[in-house]
Amino acid sequence: MEEWLYISTEVYPALLKGFWVSLALIVPSALFGIAIGIVLGVLRVYGSRPVMAAADGFVALFRGIPLVVQLFVWYFGLPYLKIYLNPFTAAVLGFSLCGGAYHSEYIRGALLSIKRGQMLAAQSLGFSTTRMIVSIVLPQALRRALPGCGNELIYLIKYSSLAYMITCVELTGQGKILASNSFRYTEIFLIIGACYLVMTSAAGVLLGRLEGRLRLPGFEQYRG
Amino acid sequence: MTTPVLRIENLSKRYGSRAVLTGASFSVNKGDLKILIGPSGAGKSTLLQCINFLVQPDEGRIWLDGEEVRPGHRRALCTYRQKVGMIFQDFNLFDHLNALENVRIGLVRVKGIARDEAGERAVRELTRVGLRDHLQKYPAQLSGGQKQRVSIARALAMDPKVMLLDEPTSALDPELIGEVHSVIREMGQGGMTMIMATHQIGFARSLASEIIFMEDGRIVEQGAPDRIFCHAENARTREFCSKITELYGETR
Repeated sequence: MEEWLYISTEVYPALLKGFWVSLALIVPSALFGIAIGIVLGVLRVYGSRPVMAAADGFVALFRGIPLVVQLFVWYFGLPYLKIYLNPFTAAVLGFSLCGGAYHSEYIRGALLSIKRGQMLAAQSLGFSTTRMIVSIVLPQALRRALPGCGNELIYLIKYSSLAYMITCVELTGQGKILASNSFRYTEIFLIIGACYLVMTSAAGVLLGRLEGRLRLPGFEQYRG
Repeated sequence: MTTPVLRIENLSKRYGSRAVLTGASFSVNKGDLKILIGPSGAGKSTLLQCINFLVQPDEGRIWLDGEEVRPGHRRALCTYRQKVGMIFQDFNLFDHLNALENVRIGLVRVKGIARDEAGERAVRELTRVGLRDHLQKYPAQLSGGQKQRVSIARALAMDPKVMLLDEPTSALDPELIGEVHSVIREMGQGGMTMIMATHQIGFARSLASEIIFMEDGRIVEQGAPDRIFCHAENARTREFCSKITELYGETR
């Protein structure tokens, strides 16, 4: 009975609050991340040489430095330059840039898989390069990149827990507070783990549906 | 004297030290069908792709309707390419679009025509190539011959002045070649100016206004079909023509 009271009056409200913060971190980070990934991916394939090198450098940087360190730089480092970000903004910025770097790699691979002939055909119809990329190449490449990008989105759901390291108290942060107050680390973190599992499973289902809706003859998966 | 629709002069292209096209010159009058023949690697594809700058020629000048093309000017190049239709050996349809959308997209995105109007035009062009019943099919659901006819409709919708056809039937089953040939024949009867690379010698002979024989990146000989096939001046032309006639016969 006492247990139940603890869960319903302390654990549940705190975790629910944390859950909403997590969701508020994940959704914009996912959208910005994909947008950054598309731009970077396109620049890394179709950009001029210096642009390509700059985009490659960007990816090397944000993929190569641990995400926690990046978050510390945004939150604790930028104030040295008189730029003050609140914990939430710093976390979204960190997740978007890091996610974008990973997305760009999936998108780059997908862009390279589009046959050159279709691009020649587009050019021969008078498409400019930009128009060709937007209307012909990206719609196909994004379909192919979707499984990889979905992977990154699911990973984002989990690494959003790092936000508590820069005092943005989301699901994991709330759990940490609850656990250190009650010393019930095992129980609390099992619940937290289950919450993430539910979120990632839901994302998996949504991504699967999206893939289904975008499926076209010629792009379907081959079942042996 | 009328101005030729298309005139090319001294078109050349090299990759490194290898010359794939050397000094190609000819002019095409309205309604002409010029046929490029020659062995693989003779430079037929390169010549066609140089004409609409899909391959950037190293040298040479091109005039369309008496006006010189300026390939360095990007917008002018896009406008020029709209007027020069191109048909590829492997169709190159846009895989994510159905037949109707394949034809419509250029009209909407390049010519800026309203979707509905462009859609009507696309249906007209697809009807013209006999695909009225396949508007909603995706490339993966069409046969080779149907795909090639969609690509012809797509090019025709842009109202080109010249069509370049790069071995349009080489990737097709013998049975499907006929349906594409009859579309090309109708285009010719409609007055379309065309330059076509092909190995279909019977078809070439029956329709061509002129045959151009190429080898090693050079135009070896050009002239009326009967002259090239029966009275070629160059020994190599005679040899190629007799070999290919033996191989592909007089099939039309």
